[in-house]
Amino acid sequence: MNARFDVIVIGAGHNGLAAAEALAKRGKSVCVVEQSDAVGGMACDRLAHLLYNPAPSGVETREIDTVSLSPEGAHVLIRRGEARFTSGKPHPDAAAYQTLYRRLVRYAGLLHQLAEAPPPGLEQGVTSLAGLRELSRLAKLGVGVKRLGKAEMREFLRILLTNAYDLLLDEMPDGPLPGALAADAVRGAFSGPRSPGTVLSLMYRLRHGGGVFLPAGGMGAVAGAYAEGARRAGAEVRCGLGVTRVIVEGDKVAGVLLSDGGRLDASAVLSSVGPMQTMRMAGIAEFDIEAVRRARKLRAKGSTAKLNLRLGGVPEFTGLSAAQVKARLLVAPSVAGVERSFNPAKYGDLPKQPVLEMVLTDGTGPSTLSVIAGHVPETSWTTDRRESFTASVVETIERFAPGFGSLVEEADLLTPEDISAMTGAPGGHWHHAEMGLDQMLTTRPTVGMARYRFGVAGLYLCGASAHPGGDVTGAPGRNSAAQVLADGVA
Amino acid sequence: MGQHDRYDAIIAGAGHNGLTTACYLARAGLKVLVVEKNDWIGGAAVSRSLHEGWTYSNCSYVCSLLRREIVRDLDLPKFGLQVIPYEGGATFTANGDYFAYHSDHDALRREIARHEPRDVDAYDRFSQTVIRQCRFIRPFLLRSAPDPTSFKINDLQELLYLVKRAHGLGPRELAETLRFWTMSIGDFLDEHFENDLIKAHLAGSGIIGTGLGVYSPGTAYVLLHHYMGDVDGAIGAWGFARGGMGAISKALGDCFEAAGGTIFTGSGVERFLVEGGKIIGVALDNGDEYRAPIVASNMDVKRTFLEHTDAKDLPEDFTRAVKRFKIRGSSGKLNIALDALPDFPAAPKGANFLRGDLHASESLAELERAYDDWKEGRWSANPYFDMLIPSQIDPTMAPPGKHMMTVFVQYAPYALEKDGVCSGENWTEEAKKAFAETVFDKIEQVCPDIRSKVVHAEIRTPRDIEREVGLTEGNIFQGELTFDQLLFNRPVPGYANYATPIEGMYLVGSSAHPGGGVMAAPGANAAREILKKLGKGAAVAAEAA
Repeated sequence: MNARFDVIVIGAGHNGLAAAEALAKRGKSVCVVEQSDAVGGMACDRLAHLLYNPAPSGVETREIDTVSLSPEGAHVLIRRGEARFTSGKPHPDAAAYQTLYRRLVRYAGLLHQLAEAPPPGLEQGVTSLAGLRELSRLAKLGVGVKRLGKAEMREFLRILLTNAYDLLLDEMPDGPLPGALAADAVRGAFSGPRSPGTVLSLMYRLRHGGGVFLPAGGMGAVAGAYAEGARRAGAEVRCGLGVTRVIVEGDKVAGVLLSDGGRLDASAVLSSVGPMQTMRMAGIAEFDIEAVRRARKLRAKGSTAKLNLRLGGVPEFTGLSAAQVKARLLVAPSVAGVERSFNPAKYGDLPKQPVLEMVLTDGTGPSTLSVIAGHVPETSWTTDRRESFTASVVETIERFAPGFGSLVEEADLLTPEDISAMTGAPGGHWHHAEMGLDQMLTTRPTVGMARYRFGVAGLYLCGASAHPGGDVTGAPGRNSAAQVLADGVA
Repeated sequence: MGQHDRYDAIIAGAGHNGLTTACYLARAGLKVLVVEKNDWIGGAAVSRSLHEGWTYSNCSYVCSLLRREIVRDLDLPKFGLQVIPYEGGATFTANGDYFAYHSDHDALRREIARHEPRDVDAYDRFSQTVIRQCRFIRPFLLRSAPDPTSFKINDLQELLYLVKRAHGLGPRELAETLRFWTMSIGDFLDEHFENDLIKAHLAGSGIIGTGLGVYSPGTAYVLLHHYMGDVDGAIGAWGFARGGMGAISKALGDCFEAAGGTIFTGSGVERFLVEGGKIIGVALDNGDEYRAPIVASNMDVKRTFLEHTDAKDLPEDFTRAVKRFKIRGSSGKLNIALDALPDFPAAPKGANFLRGDLHASESLAELERAYDDWKEGRWSANPYFDMLIPSQIDPTMAPPGKHMMTVFVQYAPYALEKDGVCSGENWTEEAKKAFAETVFDKIEQVCPDIRSKVVHAEIRTPRDIEREVGLTEGNIFQGELTFDQLLFNRPVPGYANYATPIEGMYLVGSSAHPGGGVMAAPGANAAREILKKLGKGAAVAAEAA
C-alpha cells in the first residue's frame, strides 16, 4: 500500500487532527495515521471530561458551576468570579476572590495571544521580514501590557512568575475557595501550589475566560468533531495503523513506514507524539547529540490518574442539592492541603489525601462519576497499589457522600502508566511535557525545538509537547501547521 | 538634644550595606551618622567572642560575594580586610563514602569518575553554563534595576542595557538563559548528572537561605547567587575573612570613621521622623533625636516600614505591598567551639577538602524531604548542613590546637509547629536543644566523635537571628530571592531604585536589589542613587574594566 501525500500526521489526537484540518484547508493532501482504533488520543471519554476553552464547531457545550467541597460542610459554589456557599449564604471572601479572579482573567487574556501563534523568537534577526513580524507581535504584547496601566502592569510583572500559594493566601484565608484555584493551577502538573510558576499555569488555564464546560456527548464527541473537521477539509484519517519509522533520506523527511508493512511518501511529517518517541521513529542518528540529550531529559512525569466509577444510583452529597451534585465537584479543602497531597508524589508514593475533580456524567442509563485524581506516582502500579488507591479515592468521596461506596459497581482506573500505554503520551503526562516555566513558550519542549521544526528538514512536532502545550485546544496542531506552510516544505 | 545634632545623612543600622552606603557618602564629603541598636557593628557580618578564646562568625560565615569594585573603592585591605580562599569541600554518605569537590580540575574529574564516569563531561557542561550565567548577571549587581513601567531617562537607559545584554547573547543563549532563570536546581542537575550524590553536593547552593526546595522553580538562580562571587578574581571561589566575618564590618567601619563619619551604637532607630512627606530625621530607643535631610535604612523593608515608620506617612498600596513581601526564616545555625579537630574516618588523613564546606545530604530526594518538613513548621528531621572549620585556615578563630566550627542548617522554620499551632513562641529552650541534637546526630554521619569534642555550642534559630540582628524571621537575604522579589520587583514594584515613598528616605539593605549575601551591592547602589540626587557625580563601584 504505497501512496504519496503532501503531509503525513502521526497520531489522530485532537492536535494531530487540528493540524491536518489546517493543512488540508490550504489544499495540501494530508493523511493522518493513528495506531489505535479510535481517533482522539487523550481526548476520549475514559480519560477526559471537561473543557476550559471553546469546543470545536459542531459540539454543544454547557457551562457548569464548580462546587469546592468542605470537610466541615461549608461547601463553596463557584461560577467564574462569583463565589457563595452552596447553602446560598454569602461567602466572606467573595469580594477578595472576585477581584483576584478578574485580575487573573485579564492577565490571562494577554497570554492568550501568545498561545495562538508559534512562540516568540527572534532567530531571524530584526532585519528580515519574518523577524520584523515577530518584533511587531512582541511589541503588540508589550502595548497590551502597558495598556493595563502602571499599577496593574507592575502587579502583572510581579505575579507572572510567582506561586499560587502566596498569591491566593495573600488575599484570603485558606479554605475550599482558594483551594479550588490551587487545584486548578496544578491539575495535570507535577507541581504543588508552592512551586513558582503555578500562577502562570493557572492563568494559562484561564486564558479563555475561565469557564468550565461540559461537552454534550462527552469528550468523544469533541474528538469526533476534530476528526470530522479534518475529513471535511479533505484529510484522510486511517486508524489501526501505526508508524514504525519515519523515513529520512539525505537529511530530509521522505515519508513513513507503517505497521502493516506499507509505506507512505511525503515531504513533511508532523508528529503528535513526544520528542523522544519521534526521534526514535526517525532514528537517533539523524539528530544532533545535544538535541537527543535534551529530549531524553525532558520533564514529563505523569502525575494524574483517571478513575471512572460506574454507579448503581445517583449519589447524594451532604449539603448539596440535586442540581449542585451535577456541578464540577472538587475535593481541594485548602491550598496547604493541595501542597500536602503533592509531597508523596515527589518520592513515588500515593497521596494520603488525594485532590479530586469529579463530574457526574448524566445520562439515562447508569451514571458514572468521572474522577481526575492529581499527584499520583508515574510508575510502579502494582495490583495492590491500584486497589488501595481506588479505595482511598472512594473513601475520600464517601466522606462527603455517605453511602457512596456501596453505589460503586465498577471502577476503571487509568494510571499514568496506563495512559502512556493507551495513548503514547510521554510518561502518561497530560500535557506530554511538564508545563513548567522552563518548558514553556520559546523553550517548549526545550531549547532549540520551539518552532515545531524538529531537527530533520520536513519533520515537525504538532502535539501537546509543543507550544502552547496541553488541554484540548488544538492550538499546538494549528500552530505547527502554520509553521509548515510558512516553511513551504509541503 | 539640640540643633547641633544635625547631619547631612543618617544611616539606620550598621550592617555591611549600611556601612557601605555610609562610607561612600562620607567620602563624598557628607556629614554622616550611623546608628546601631546593638553594642557592636556589623549586623549579620560579625565576629563575636561568646566563649573565652574563640571567635564565632555567628551569622554569615564565608565570603565571596563582596564586590571587588567596592573593596577597591573603599580600600578595605588598607583597613585590615584579608580574605583567605579555601579550597574544595565534600559530601559524606551514611555508608562511609564521600564525594570530594576539588578546585583542581583534574582531581575533580577523577573524583567524579570514581562515582559516575558519565558525569565527568557533564560537570564541564554544567560549570560552563553556570559560569556563562554568572558572567551575564554580574554586571547587573552594581546597577540599579530599571522600572519597566517608567519612561524616565534613567529607567529607559537601564532597560536598554538589559535588552542589549540579553540580545548580545544570541537567540539560543537567550532561551537558555530564560530557562536557567526559571528552573529548579533539582531539574537542572537532573538534566546534567546521573549520580545522586554529586547532584546533592551541588544542589545545596540552590536552597541555602531560601524558603524553597531543590525542586522549586527559581532555585537554579539561587545557585547563581552563591556562585557569582569571587576571591581575588577566581569566580565562584569562597574564602574566610581573617578574624571572622566581622573583619568586613570592622574594615568598613574604620574606613567610614577615617572619612570623618560618626557611629553610635547601643540604641537603634525607634521611629523615622517624617514631616510633610519628607524625612527629617530619626528618634532613637533612648529618646535621642537626630536630624538629617537624608535617612537610609539598613533594616529590611518590613521592619523599616511596618515597625518604625508611621503608617500614615505611607501610601496604602505601598504598605500593602510591604506586608506581602516574603521574608521567610528557613535556616538555623550552630557555632561550635571544639577542643580538637574531630575525626573524619571516611576521609584520607589531612585531606585538603576537609578545609572546605562539608555536607551529609546524599540525594535530592533527601533534600526535598527536608523542605517538606519545613513547610509544615518543623525543622528538618534529616537536615542539610553547610559545615566549615575556618580555624584550620585562620588560626585567629580559636586558641592554638583548638578549633571553631560553623554549621549552617537548612531547614528550620521561624514559626515552629507545636500541637497544630505554628508560632515563634514555640522555640523554647527545650525545642532549641532538640533542634541541636538533630543536627549533631546528622554531623555524626561525618564526625562520629563530634559530641566529645564540643566545648561550647551556640544554637541559633531563625527567631534568635531575628531578635539579635533584626532580620525579620531571621531570613539571611532580607527577603526571598524569588522572581516576584528580584530586579524591578525588589522590594516593591516601582520602588526598586532604593528610594521610598518618603522623600529623602532610602532603603540600603539587601531587601533592595540585588538582594542578600555579604555583597555590599545594595549599599553601594543606594549610595550612587543618593549622590546622584544630590548632584554629586562621584563614581560609585564602577564596573571593573
